[in-house]
Amino acid sequence: MAEDASPLLEVEDLQIELVTHRGVVRAVDGVSFTVGQGETVTLIGESGSGKSTTAMGVLRLLPEGLAVLSGTARVGGEDVVADPEAARRVRGRTVSLIPQDPMTALSPVHTIGRQLGDALRLRHPGLSRAEARERGTRLLDQVRISEPGTRWKTYPHQFSGGMLQRILIAIALAAEPRLLVADEPTSALDATVQAGVLDLLLDLQERTGVGMLMITHDLGVARLVSDRIHVMKEGRFVESGPAERIVERPTHPYTRTLLAAVPALGPWDEDGLADHTPLGAAR
Amino acid sequence: MSRYLARRLGQSLLTVFLTVSTVFVLVRLAPGDPAAAYAGPTATSADLARIREEFGLGEPLITQYGIFLRDLLTGDLGTSYSFHSSALDVVLERMPYTITLSVAAIAVTVAVAVPLGVWMARRADTKRELGANVLTIAGQSMPDFWTGVMLLTVFAVLLPVLPASGFTSWSGLILPTVTVAILQLALVSRLVRREMTTALASPYITVARSRGVSERALTWRYALANSAVPLVTAVGTRFAALLNGVVVVEVVFGWPGVGSLVVRALETRDYPLIQATVLVTATLAILVQLLVDLAYPLLDPRVRLGKAA
Repeated sequence: MAEDASPLLEVEDLQIELVTHRGVVRAVDGVSFTVGQGETVTLIGESGSGKSTTAMGVLRLLPEGLAVLSGTARVGGEDVVADPEAARRVRGRTVSLIPQDPMTALSPVHTIGRQLGDALRLRHPGLSRAEARERGTRLLDQVRISEPGTRWKTYPHQFSGGMLQRILIAIALAAEPRLLVADEPTSALDATVQAGVLDLLLDLQERTGVGMLMITHDLGVARLVSDRIHVMKEGRFVESGPAERIVERPTHPYTRTLLAAVPALGPWDEDGLADHTPLGAAR
Repeated sequence: MSRYLARRLGQSLLTVFLTVSTVFVLVRLAPGDPAAAYAGPTATSADLARIREEFGLGEPLITQYGIFLRDLLTGDLGTSYSFHSSALDVVLERMPYTITLSVAAIAVTVAVAVPLGVWMARRADTKRELGANVLTIAGQSMPDFWTGVMLLTVFAVLLPVLPASGFTSWSGLILPTVTVAILQLALVSRLVRREMTTALASPYITVARSRGVSERALTWRYALANSAVPLVTAVGTRFAALLNGVVVVEVVFGWPGVGSLVVRALETRDYPLIQATVLVTATLAILVQLLVDLAYPLLDPRVRLGKAA
């Protein structure tokens, strides 16, 4: 693939050791992968497999002093493992995070508009408040928040989880990122709401060509959105490959166990979001 | 909102009433005779009887209480035995001094404790933070008269740069303010540290960091705003306590506030003066608490708008 020549995210032999009260734990043990433009790469595994730690490590959002990183992780060409300052430069510009639990991901005492406006003004420091508001309401409209103008002055607790996740996607988009890191973006949401959020992400990806690193434990989500899947267990990749191959013809016993844990996987085209599945198949 | 306010005001009035009633009974149960304290050691029993009669202390307790309540309704808290003037006037005359000292002390406390607590939270569990903790706790653990006397010795005696006592110029405010603030510093800074540590570990901070918000903005805008309710509560409670008079500090520095007044009132068993002091300081303390409660909706939209969507 052409994108692979200069990937947005290039991770090589990444190791992450976490200092816990029970000693040092190697949470990520030498993983390598890339994410290209317009591509969705999924890390899948059960809790504690190291997938979220990998994502947070790539953004250098693990608690300083409690996480030791080695290897390389280049975000837009800048190695954030070698240089923590590089991570500060790319965050909110090259890369954005869509967090796991939307209910706790926004400051409860600041308005939606304030937080979205701040994100916009960080990306474009010259923007006035009024201009930020105008752009922000457009972003809210893009993520299908109705009446974005009146919602500007509301607070996070006045929204449902699904709406908050859309707002967080809008905030992530405010950075005009080339790479989105989505850390279990739907696992805290109801099944019906999940579909809507995934649909929105795929739609945005199609329009903007943003690359996406998806973290999930849900094979249903993984097969729906991914081009490539890395199956992670105990800090290592046990199996990697195109999404379709991993789902249809898993070779590693662990992947089969994961697949067996998914209740009644239907055929690809039976899904309500089937329109978007060719994203993976098309390439 | 107005119903809430009416209910809170009602509660406050009841609290003041119960406080003054309790004090009315307690001072009379406590040993000591106002007449004896007033007349001095050479008084005859006839003198004492006359004085008791004059002060209205010959009546049964319940009658005295009835008279007290009747007068209270007209704003008359009786005549101070030792000042020979309206007890309420004596207290109100002293109150500005106590308010000045309390406001200055709480302002200094907040100005030092908030940055210090934030600094400790950002360096939680490091040696430097431990050092700061040891210092503030030492400050809190020192008896206030000792802190006061030490400050006096250094700044009024050894280096005579500040006045030793009284309130003749604004510089006289410095030493008592610092003494009171040192006592409050450990408590408030450790509360700031605890609240800020929790806030800084919240997911919304990580998510804000992920979108490039600077550490400074994360600390001062996001985390501090989210710690405002417990901070305002704590500072309000400390302030209310200071308004009740910083007895020892006022005595050490000859500060003409209600703290030193209440010492004198107790020594002379000046019942009307004790009651007036309690009434005024309790009212003020309750007012401060009321203001703190009314600040919550301003500080936290979840209180203002209700939890539901």
